[in-house]
Order: sequence, then structure tokens, then C-alpha cells
Amino acid sequence: MRAALPAAPGVVAWGLVTGVAMVKSGLAVHWALLISLLVYAGSAQLATLPLIVAGQPFWIVALAAFVTNLRFVIYSASLRRWFEAFSLRRRAVLGYFTGDFTFAMFMDRVRREGEFAHRDAWFLGACGFNWLVWQVTSIVGILAATAIPSEWGLQFAGTLALLALAIPLCLEWPGLAGAAVAAPIAVLARGLPFGLGLFAGIVAGICAAVAVDALLARRKATAQHQGDELS
Amino acid sequence: MSINMLLVTVGMVLATFMTRAALLLAGQRFKLSPRVEAALRYAPVCALAVLIVPEVVVQAGTVNVSLTNPRLAGALAAAAFFLWKRSMVGCIVVGMVIVVAFRLA
Repeated sequence: MRAALPAAPGVVAWGLVTGVAMVKSGLAVHWALLISLLVYAGSAQLATLPLIVAGQPFWIVALAAFVTNLRFVIYSASLRRWFEAFSLRRRAVLGYFTGDFTFAMFMDRVRREGEFAHRDAWFLGACGFNWLVWQVTSIVGILAATAIPSEWGLQFAGTLALLALAIPLCLEWPGLAGAAVAAPIAVLARGLPFGLGLFAGIVAGICAAVAVDALLARRKATAQHQGDELS
Repeated sequence: MSINMLLVTVGMVLATFMTRAALLLAGQRFKLSPRVEAALRYAPVCALAVLIVPEVVVQAGTVNVSLTNPRLAGALAAAAFFLWKRSMVGCIVVGMVIVVAFRLA
């Protein structure tokens, strides 16, 4: 729990903004509460808001939440070797509670200490604390939002929070290329039904990012090769 | 509306749970190829881009990429502030201040 404290201010802000943005985008309070309590994925909740409000079918919304959350597949690929000895149920619980920050802390600790004892309990403690802080602030945000006039445009705070999440990912060439290809396609094709424009943008963006990634890897390999020949 | 919202909620729970737990549950049986791993790594930034950018540049149904668009001005200022200070809270505050200033002006 103490290990999770440094992240608390960020979680508080993120939870408040998500709560307020959900209600101010037009979600009924009871649905906002239910989604917040069960889904527990801030970025996916914020990202799917425009789709939910636009009345997109549920599978489009779920698919968008899935893609937004794909970073966790990478996280769990690194986590699994540390947790594979535990029961299936234990691993399901560990998976549900994984968050961005708790993942980073856990990987930092196993890098230093290896398979430390009670690592599942340590992980769950940090994650549980995160979960609690997130739920309380997000519920406060949901309830407070009903008292705030919609004209303030506070739902835009949710978009800004996502922006803060996206910028660090764009500081690498492949990420920047992906975003630069994906965004204009989504804007131009926004009229297409079933959120097809969004998915066309995402697929094209991933292809661009992977291509740039491969290009950089090849260039690095060539540079290394030349270095070997010189030495 | 309510049935659809119920399906939305259940769909989101399953979708986000799968991303977090599927590999943990599968153990070491599935190996991710480097190419798949690269695609997974860059999918979120692409998803964020397609969800953020239309919210910012589309104003009342039409694209407005000039600084007369309050959300674009707000987002650019917020992005600049974030690059400078690396603070998410600051990013939100700066962006909202600009948007509200447009409304008052």
C-alpha cells in the first residue's frame, strides 16, 4: 500500500476527471456508477464516451475499449512469468486489478529482487489501494458533476486527460507515425457507420507504426554491423 | 436504451478484463511473435489518436483547424504545457482555462 502512495495524486485527478466527464457527456448517473465500479479502466471509459453518447452499438464500444486497453496485453506478457505458479482464480484477480502504475512498480521490484515472497499479496495490496482511491474519487466526480452546469464544457477535461496519456507515446517515431496516420483518417471518415472510420484509422496507424518500427530496427542492425566490421 | 447500456457495460467489462487477464490465465502456452508485440505496443496510441483528434478538431459537425476553434487552441496549449512540465493535472487545467476563456470572451 505504501508503495502505491506516490501515484495517489495522479489517480485522484484521473478518477475525478473520468467521473465528471462521464456524466457531463450525457451518461445517466446510475450507468456512470455501474461502469466505473465494474469496468475499472479509466482510459477505456473516457475513450468510449463519444461512442456511447453517439448511440453506437455495444460491440463497437466494447471493441474500442479493447483496443484502447491493448497495452495491458503487453503488461500481462511481462507479468505472467512471475505469477504462473499461482492458481487460475488468483491470476484472474491479479489480472483484473492490474493498473498502469502498479504494473510499473511491480516490474521495478522484481527487477531488483527477483521472485520475492508474497509478491501476489504485495501486488494486490498496491492494486487494491489504487482501486479504492480510483473508485472513491471517480464516484465523487460522478456525483459532483450533477451539480455542475453542462455549459462549462467539463467533459472536455476527459479528452485532455487522454491527451496527456497519448503524448508520451508520440515521443517515439513509430508512435508518432501511427498517430499521424490514424487521426486524419478518423476525422475524414467520421461519417461512416459503425465507427468504421475509427477502426480504419487504427488499423492504418498500426501498420504505419509497425513499418517505422521495423525500419528503425533494420537501420540500427546495419549500423551495428558496420561497427563490427570497423572494429 | 437501457438494454443497450447494459450490453455496453458488460461488453466493456469483458473487453478490458480480457486485455488484462487473458495472458496471465493462459500461462506460457502462447508466445507473442515480435511483430504481434509491436502491433500491440502501437495500437493504444493509434486508438487514442482517433478518439482524441476528432473531438478536438470537429466543431459542430465541420472540421475547424484554425485557432478560432476553442478546443483546438485549448488542446495545443495543454499539449505544450504537458511537454514542458509533464503534469497531467496541469495539462487538464491549462486546456480547460483556454476553453472557458473563449466562452467568456
